[in-house]
Amino acid sequence: MKICRSIYKYAVATRLSHWLWVVAFGVLVSSGLQIFNATPHLDASDASDPARRVVSIDSPVDGLGTTTLFGRTFTTTGWLGWTSDGLGSYAARAFPSWITIPAYQDLADGRRWHFFFAWAAIAAWLTWLLSSAAKGNLKELVLRPDDLPKIWPMQAYYLRLRKEPPPYGLYNPLQKASYTTVLFALAPLVVLTGIALSPGIDAIAHPLTWIFGGRQFARLWHFTGMLLLLGFWLVHTFQVATQGVVNQLTSMITGWYRPEGNQVVPGESP
Amino acid sequence: MKRGLFVASAASSALAACSPIGTAVNGGSFHRLLTIAEPLDYGLIGTHGLAQTYAESAISADFPLNSLPTPSDSQYAGFVASRFQSYRLVVDGSVDRPQAFSLDHLQTMVQASEITRHDCVDGWSAIAGWSGVRLSEILAIVRPRSDARYAVFYCMDRDQRSTQYYESLDLRQASHPQTLLALRMNGAPIPIEHGAPVRLRVPTQLGYKSAKWVQRIEVVGTFTKLYGGNGGYWEDQGYEWYAGI
Repeated sequence: MKICRSIYKYAVATRLSHWLWVVAFGVLVSSGLQIFNATPHLDASDASDPARRVVSIDSPVDGLGTTTLFGRTFTTTGWLGWTSDGLGSYAARAFPSWITIPAYQDLADGRRWHFFFAWAAIAAWLTWLLSSAAKGNLKELVLRPDDLPKIWPMQAYYLRLRKEPPPYGLYNPLQKASYTTVLFALAPLVVLTGIALSPGIDAIAHPLTWIFGGRQFARLWHFTGMLLLLGFWLVHTFQVATQGVVNQLTSMITGWYRPEGNQVVPGESP
Repeated sequence: MKRGLFVASAASSALAACSPIGTAVNGGSFHRLLTIAEPLDYGLIGTHGLAQTYAESAISADFPLNSLPTPSDSQYAGFVASRFQSYRLVVDGSVDRPQAFSLDHLQTMVQASEITRHDCVDGWSAIAGWSGVRLSEILAIVRPRSDARYAVFYCMDRDQRSTQYYESLDLRQASHPQTLLALRMNGAPIPIEHGAPVRLRVPTQLGYKSAKWVQRIEVVGTFTKLYGGNGGYWEDQGYEWYAGI
């Protein structure tokens, strides 16, 4: 059955924190890559250890950029290792200027941007979490055991192996699985691995650094968490773009969403 | 420390002025907004606890060098020629008993040892053993006055524009039991490239606080009148004064 009436789907705190995350995530990734460029390798160890190097982005000679992943070296000239320097030229630089903040190499400013927007992202997360919990909205979003059998049918529907999606509420089971992972696993992971890099934190909360395998290992986890979030972002924007982009964007701005398909709107019988 | 980047950073600060985003950020009101994270971090993390200590087997085979190999100061060559017998560590400023310490004097004081990790702001880490005099012992001898708030460390190296390397700690950080005036590294006198004869070691903060080639410690009430006014060479180039994060 088709329900045409709009519903108020997103509370103002959800919408505000969503768009603040959009900005903060972009700045955090770009300034993070600026920070990465100062030491463009990641080790699975506490102190730096070339024997436990997982990835290294280098420029062995001018004009050549290489990326070494688990001991295998690839030529990545122009993209990684030997890239645009933000000053109109090319240089030995892991990530290119068009993806870093600031564009030119400036670790001090990269850190200022990163730490400011890290606080902004944490503030947005807390605002969203507390207001959603206070309103009792979290149960609509968080994945529960009875959602698990619906995950494959939903995926099959997306893959066009099934005509109808399984019945679901405000969020479908795949959305619940990915939002739960992002908001309650990946977001805490990048925050905790980020602060575990700090010598001041290591002195007052050493178990945090220890859990991740030491400082350099925490840096590796931090980077990995960023890649996973970037993966979520790619899938998420693809989904929004292909599942009624106007309806989706309008709802995240105004709060009002037009339900479709097999959505069971809370308060109404299916 | 990243004194090796002296030239690069001088170039980038000059160029920053040309770029739109650099103009907006450097010195602009938005940049001042970004810097509010620093007092928040210092307030929340501060200087508590102890940096991790390690077994000798954990000492890094290679301790990277991110500075000039030796100070450019001509006076330094004379110190090296005398095997640092002519070197004096001057401790003065807002103290009751200013004093100049010879290397022999420092060596006869109680020595503290620690094997700690050095975390560079660039991102790498290296473990080494350090021993020397706790800075708190030196402060107890010279007795800071009631208006004293910071210890400023003047070093013997200068950049291409003859700007002297310096650093500062507040007296809480300076009195931390792991804050050392290190005389030895991995069981031998500190090599020249690692800061001989006296190097500050602050294992609870990033490496740029651990100033090499310290020659004078001035106890002050404020550092806003010194050099760029931000309490350190790298701080004057935009890095955080609180380097615990």
